[in-house]
Amino acid sequence: MTIQPGRLFRIACIVLVSILFFLPVWWVTVSALRPQEEIFKYLSPLSLWTLWPRDASLIYMIELWQGPFATAILNSIYITVVTLVVGLIISAMAGFALAVMNFRFRETIFFVIVVSFLIPFDAIALPLFGILSKANLQNTYTGLILPGIGNGLAVFLFRQFFMGIPKEIREAAQIDGMGWFGIFWRIYLPLSRPAIISAGLILFVFQWQAYLWPLIIAPAPEYKVAAIAIAQFADLYGVNYSLIFSAAFFISLIPMLVLVVFQRYFTASVASTSGKG
Amino acid sequence: MQFNRIRRGVCAFAVAALASGGFVSAAMAQSVTVNFLSAQNDDVFQPVIDAFEAANPDIDVVHQTVPFDELNTAIETRVARGDGTIDVYAADTPRIPAFASRGYLLNLDDAKDKITGAVPSAVELELVSHGGSVWAYPMWTSTQLMYFNRDLLKAAKLEMPEGGTSARMTWEQVTANAKAAQDAGAEWGVMFQQVDRYYQLQALFESSGAGNGLTGDDLLEPAMNGDKWVETAQWYADIFENGLAPRGVSPSQTDDLFARGKVAYYIAGPWAIAAFNAAEGLDYGVAPHPYFEGGKQVTPTGAWALGINPHADNLEAARKFAEFVTLTAEGSFLTTKNFPLIPVNAGGFEKYGVAIGEMTPKIGPALDIMAHEGMETAVARPRTVGFVAFETEMNRMFSDVRNGADVKQALDDTQSRLTGLLPRQR
Amino acid sequence: MTRSRKMMILFMFLGPTLAAVILLRLWPASMAVLESLYAPRAQTMSLENYAYIFGDPLFQKSILVTLIYSIIVNPLQIAIALALALLLNVSIPLIGLWRTLILLPVAIPQSVSAVVWGIGLRPDGPVNGLLVALGLGEQRFLTSPDQALGSIILIVSWIGIGYWMTFLLAGLQDIPKSLYEAIRIDGANRWQQFRYITLPQLRRTLTFVLVANTVSNFLVFAPVQILTQGGPQGSTNLIMNDIYTRGFVWGDSSSASAATVVLVSLVLLVVVMQFRLMRAPEDNAA
Repeated sequence: MTIQPGRLFRIACIVLVSILFFLPVWWVTVSALRPQEEIFKYLSPLSLWTLWPRDASLIYMIELWQGPFATAILNSIYITVVTLVVGLIISAMAGFALAVMNFRFRETIFFVIVVSFLIPFDAIALPLFGILSKANLQNTYTGLILPGIGNGLAVFLFRQFFMGIPKEIREAAQIDGMGWFGIFWRIYLPLSRPAIISAGLILFVFQWQAYLWPLIIAPAPEYKVAAIAIAQFADLYGVNYSLIFSAAFFISLIPMLVLVVFQRYFTASVASTSGKG
Repeated sequence: MQFNRIRRGVCAFAVAALASGGFVSAAMAQSVTVNFLSAQNDDVFQPVIDAFEAANPDIDVVHQTVPFDELNTAIETRVARGDGTIDVYAADTPRIPAFASRGYLLNLDDAKDKITGAVPSAVELELVSHGGSVWAYPMWTSTQLMYFNRDLLKAAKLEMPEGGTSARMTWEQVTANAKAAQDAGAEWGVMFQQVDRYYQLQALFESSGAGNGLTGDDLLEPAMNGDKWVETAQWYADIFENGLAPRGVSPSQTDDLFARGKVAYYIAGPWAIAAFNAAEGLDYGVAPHPYFEGGKQVTPTGAWALGINPHADNLEAARKFAEFVTLTAEGSFLTTKNFPLIPVNAGGFEKYGVAIGEMTPKIGPALDIMAHEGMETAVARPRTVGFVAFETEMNRMFSDVRNGADVKQALDDTQSRLTGLLPRQR
Repeated sequence: MTRSRKMMILFMFLGPTLAAVILLRLWPASMAVLESLYAPRAQTMSLENYAYIFGDPLFQKSILVTLIYSIIVNPLQIAIALALALLLNVSIPLIGLWRTLILLPVAIPQSVSAVVWGIGLRPDGPVNGLLVALGLGEQRFLTSPDQALGSIILIVSWIGIGYWMTFLLAGLQDIPKSLYEAIRIDGANRWQQFRYITLPQLRRTLTFVLVANTVSNFLVFAPVQILTQGGPQGSTNLIMNDIYTRGFVWGDSSSASAATVVLVSLVLLVVVMQFRLMRAPEDNAA
């Protein structure tokens, strides 16, 4: 196989752009491997040591896992996984109804869902805390998870995607006597891998980044999430950058591994839909 | 500053009293839980919690720590909405009037005698009072020192400011020397640890006679655009404009620059000593906080106190814990074990003094300076229910001025904003 | 199918989401609207909070800043995200890795991203180090009223572009290859393929990205709160940061609620316009 120069140029562009985006993350990783004084030592003028650890050491990473961070990241993973599973199912079903089924007030309900994701969540955190604390959901996983599952944006995404599926497919299935659940489960969902991954990304980012809400609803140490644990390496009088960057490394490593694996399904979907199209 | 550094620094303190460590909190049956909310790292309170639990096996203390910027958020949401799951919380003293008037604090008048017995300073009692009542247990206080880098001063052939409180420098001398030190190779001439924070900068305006920026019966009217204010704020702006201090460095990154020997004069709290003692190759000393020529000698003060949530689930145990931490010599000293802020408890301060005193040959009479400032020059932040809003706007204004905004304009804008804002805080 | 059975099925599909959205978003939001109508310590409803915020020069400026920011940041992010999606819509070795590297910033807590860029853009930081090494002058970035908003746009774009690119990539991957083959047989060049196949086929995805991106940029505030607190001189005081300062720092939840109502109305207006703009006839027939 001969490689065309155009393709080679494209590959070079891709690699370059990826590295540019990755550079700050790389700097975080390198900084996680060195003591505080080294982090700031090589900022300017630029030198090789800005981006390569001199005397790399794992002590901060080890110190990190001995502290409350270990519990926090497990909490984050648990909360995020539950949010993903429940959130994906209910938003896909709602998106399906809004895209495919005919009923009165469909546009109104869609409008309500759109409005719901225009509301800045942090700005309504206080009244929401009032509601959920009356239900005794402080310091519970339920209290942490709930706001993540009713995600209007994910519903919107599924609706957009389902509207793109030709209605002939659905009509054929209805003639064969398939009900709504069958159409949803056996036809629409299997066609929707890219939408599932995209919606999963929305739900994931919401929970993984959540900061203000966990702080209010579940301050007990055993319910602490990673984003808060990381902020606590800084206090009024100073910041432990080595620990912050070590924690940031692990916080981004986990999604990175998951994403690299899931990227495969993007391409798989191409094969499946183009085969049908 | 970094806590494992502090831990190393604390080893350098080498105080006999520390040998009493090694408490283990015993698991217990019928125990009561005290939830304690603060913005300090777990390390800071662990020693005192361990000691308290050992002495009170029936009480469990759970330390809930939130990032500093969010402590207010946590109090405004949870304590304000009558949540009983916080029993004790740390309150910065200038915020006490607001917390007390909004009903976030338990009235402690019945403990007034106990408090005055353990914390003799009338100033400290005043800091936890509002409207004639006591609302919190005083825990720590603070002051600011001027650190200097001996090597950089030597290189510029400048005199070391080593004479203690009798040799207090003026800001005019400091800036002139800072310039000379920079010419002789120092990267930065003079820096503030908590750049742009009212806590650190109020002393400048008190010293020049500009005042604290508030007036009126309830201190809810801004007064910060007079000539003296403009003049002093301009002085602050010029430090950055003339390149004596760096722009764009946040308070959490300042200690690092002094520790790495890049700063000639550095205004910072005594807790920085832990980090500086651990910094390799740093030869430094401490001098008193400067003042303006012909002006008053003024230094910052105030720090954290412990308040009790009036809706606390376990009021009695909560008070017991707070009193152990603040009113006993042992508890008070243990709070400074990993974090050398100044304890206000008389017995705690005595122990603390032994630790700091041992460093006098190396860094100068830090303890004498701290004691002197506490008695003679400390001026507290204004005590008003509008303090938090006032402080936020002042910090914003200082930041604008440091970054080159027109000083008069910045002060006028802040004045007009606070005029609308403060009455809403009542 | 009977009417009640149809209602049952509809309820099962829509019920959980509607319940969640109403309980967790709309109910607390309506409490905020109510709160915005009571001035501090007032017993009767009034528009005093609105009068107060609209009379506040900093709030007026924050509306202006938010509009300028939105007009720049949304087209910029979508254009770059689309360009990158087209670039990366190719099968080369390790493509999953390259895409992930661009997406990764969104997985890092914004508090950390803000700290990293705060150090990066320091006067003595590596970005200035690079500029100096390239023979360009040092810049002030976050400390200059003229450059701070641009710096914030840089940071949120670094975080967001890979995220939006991922949605667009998913949309691109879903366009049947046969369409391209057909138009290529007709002799269409690359631009024509993009204009007549890619763009129309991507319309639904683009609508989603446009709306979602606009909303999320209106609501962003963590980098601002950490890096500039709205300064210098109010140049980065986005409305969301203003709301946060009012509600959580000053404890003035009534004026924070009023500002929230203003913000949501503004976003709603923009989003409704975007829906109109992107609507195609077949959507109504679906």
